Amino acid sequence: MSAVLTPPSVPTTAPAGRFGGLLRAETHRLRARRFIQVLLGLAVLAWIAVTALGLLNYEKATPERLAAAQAQLQEQVEQNEIGRQQCLTDPSLPPDVPVDQLCGPPMTAEDMELSWFLDPTPYSLSEEGPGGAVSIAAATAVLTFLIGATFVGAEWSSRSMVALLFWETRRPRVMGAKIAVVAVATLLVGVATQLAWLATAGIWQAVAGDGVPLPDGFWSEMLATHGRGALLALFAGLLGFGLTNLVRNTGAALGVGFVYFAVVESAISGFRPTWQPWLLTTNAAGLVVPGGLELTIYTDEIDTQGNSVVIEHLVTNLQGGIVMGVVTAVVVGVGVVLFSRRDAQ
Amino acid sequence: MPAVEMHAVTKTYARRGKSPQKALDDLELVVESGGVHGFLGPNGSGKTTSIRVLLGLIRPDAGEVRLLGRPVPSGLPDVIGSVGALVETPLFFPGFSGRRNLQLLAETAGLPRTRVEEVLETVELRDRADDRFKGYSLGMKQRLGIAAALLKSPQLLILDEPSNGLDPAGIRDVRELIRRLGQDGSTTVLLSSHLLTEIEQVADHVSIMARGRCIATGPVHKVLAGRSTGDVRIRVPDRAAAAAVLTAAGYAVSPTADGLLVSAVPAPGEITRVLAEHGHYLEELTPVAADLESAFLALTAEPA
Ligand SMILES: Nc1ncnc2c1ncn2[C@@H]1O[C@H](COP(=O)(O)OP(=O)(O)O)[C@@H](O)[C@H]1O
Ligand SMILES: [Mg+2]
Repeated sequence: MSAVLTPPSVPTTAPAGRFGGLLRAETHRLRARRFIQVLLGLAVLAWIAVTALGLLNYEKATPERLAAAQAQLQEQVEQNEIGRQQCLTDPSLPPDVPVDQLCGPPMTAEDMELSWFLDPTPYSLSEEGPGGAVSIAAATAVLTFLIGATFVGAEWSSRSMVALLFWETRRPRVMGAKIAVVAVATLLVGVATQLAWLATAGIWQAVAGDGVPLPDGFWSEMLATHGRGALLALFAGLLGFGLTNLVRNTGAALGVGFVYFAVVESAISGFRPTWQPWLLTTNAAGLVVPGGLELTIYTDEIDTQGNSVVIEHLVTNLQGGIVMGVVTAVVVGVGVVLFSRRDAQ
Repeated sequence: MPAVEMHAVTKTYARRGKSPQKALDDLELVVESGGVHGFLGPNGSGKTTSIRVLLGLIRPDAGEVRLLGRPVPSGLPDVIGSVGALVETPLFFPGFSGRRNLQLLAETAGLPRTRVEEVLETVELRDRADDRFKGYSLGMKQRLGIAAALLKSPQLLILDEPSNGLDPAGIRDVRELIRRLGQDGSTTVLLSSHLLTEIEQVADHVSIMARGRCIATGPVHKVLAGRSTGDVRIRVPDRAAAAAVLTAAGYAVSPTADGLLVSAVPAPGEITRVLAEHGHYLEELTPVAADLESAFLALTAEPA
């Protein structure tokens, strides 16, 4: 039998991998990053700590405690009335001044809140729930900013950003996969922290709540706040990513972020108060705070009476969302364009 | 079809606060498919820059580049799955193990995990594959870089000074591996090096770079052909007598400070034999800069 020579096969070249492979690899890379794992672990610990602290500091309003508080409140009202009567009968009062201005208006039980006389106070989901969601959104924004920044910062410092170009030469795809993964991850973190907050508030309300029935529309407002909070987590994550991608170094990006938030924004608030509606923190808050953020701006202008002119400005949820979205898109977009154009070494 | 074609490629680096640096100057380079193609040149001659241009990492100012028949950069996505490369130092996540680093790359390219184990085996890193990359020795890092370049079972394997940082045993292993790959018939290896001996040992063809240009190219044995006429410097106890013996044997001999220079020696072993037959024993025999080496040095030297 003679050996059959196989004709030299014409080599077929292989193209770059699919986008799905890139996405999977980026997801694994993000999940395997030690620093991100540590950040998330710390966040979980902080959550447990806050929940426990709340349980220690709030106490349910039992009928007995309510009755005692009611009695205290009543006593306060009576004491006040006694003092007022003494004041009214004082013969040295100047006759041409209204008595309410001298001795104060009469006080009733409605002028005070029962909770002032409860110590420790019960937790009030109806009053504090949305505000808590806003605080959690702020803390989460810091967390996701760090996640976005450290994720891409590590890619630059290890130069594996360049190494990836040996596998996928289309740079917008390389960046696109990273952006998609950071966006999904930070949004998930945002949703998770909001859900965690909801759980905490629910536990506090059940264990140490005020027992007040929730007003109409409470849940829709609460859910909308949760949603906007999660959106802020996404913007912050992409901002951290975009900024670090521009300066190509996590430390430098955090430095830039610190200088902006701690120095530039305070300087602007001080020297150019009318620019406040356009600051990032203002718009981040405007995005999340229910009903938008009310700004009271004391301008440098002086009116005819010699008082400085005060402007009331409402940063709506929509304005906050648009400003945050545009700034994030620009910062991320410029990074992608530069990465696609510049030489990679 | 050539694996690599570069025509009239020019690249000048803009440098902040300094005059621009011309790295490639009208470069012409063709690497035919198959075997090991040496890419030889002193440091700074433009080897790494050429490779970066080939891979689309940097954009040349002018010229035409084709990789596996496709234009760079527009056609790169069609062929990059067949090109493995290690450029300068390997780039990996320091905190991840060698295995995980490779798995992430395999995932990017849609390659099976078994392939990761195969290349780890090839570079003999399986034992240490679960250690973190940052704990690896320079040689292990370099081997992991080669493993990553091999992951795709490339038709074209580009290795930029792969023996940098390796110990002698590591260098031998890498050269052995390159030679083996060059012989398998389906892989073209483009091996960049500043070491003449390395290219001599493993390459079939060579292109010599100097100051951003390719100054000589062809089969190694042809480019090396002049080498057998190299000069040899010897030291013997009795200079005059040895000189007489060698002259009688037909060699051109001239005295040097502490010995003799024998010109155009085809085989240095002959000198040893001729002298020994006449009772002269060598204290030292040194080939003077072999021809390729001197040609290499002369060709590649900075103009005065
Ligand atoms: N990023 C860079 N910026 C400026 N000059 C560079 C850069 N990279 C390389 N060079 C210069 O270009 C020339 C060629 O360098 P290179 O391609 O690295 O040579 P080789 O790889 O042969 O040692 C050298 O003079 C080098 O200094
Ligand atoms: Mg080099």
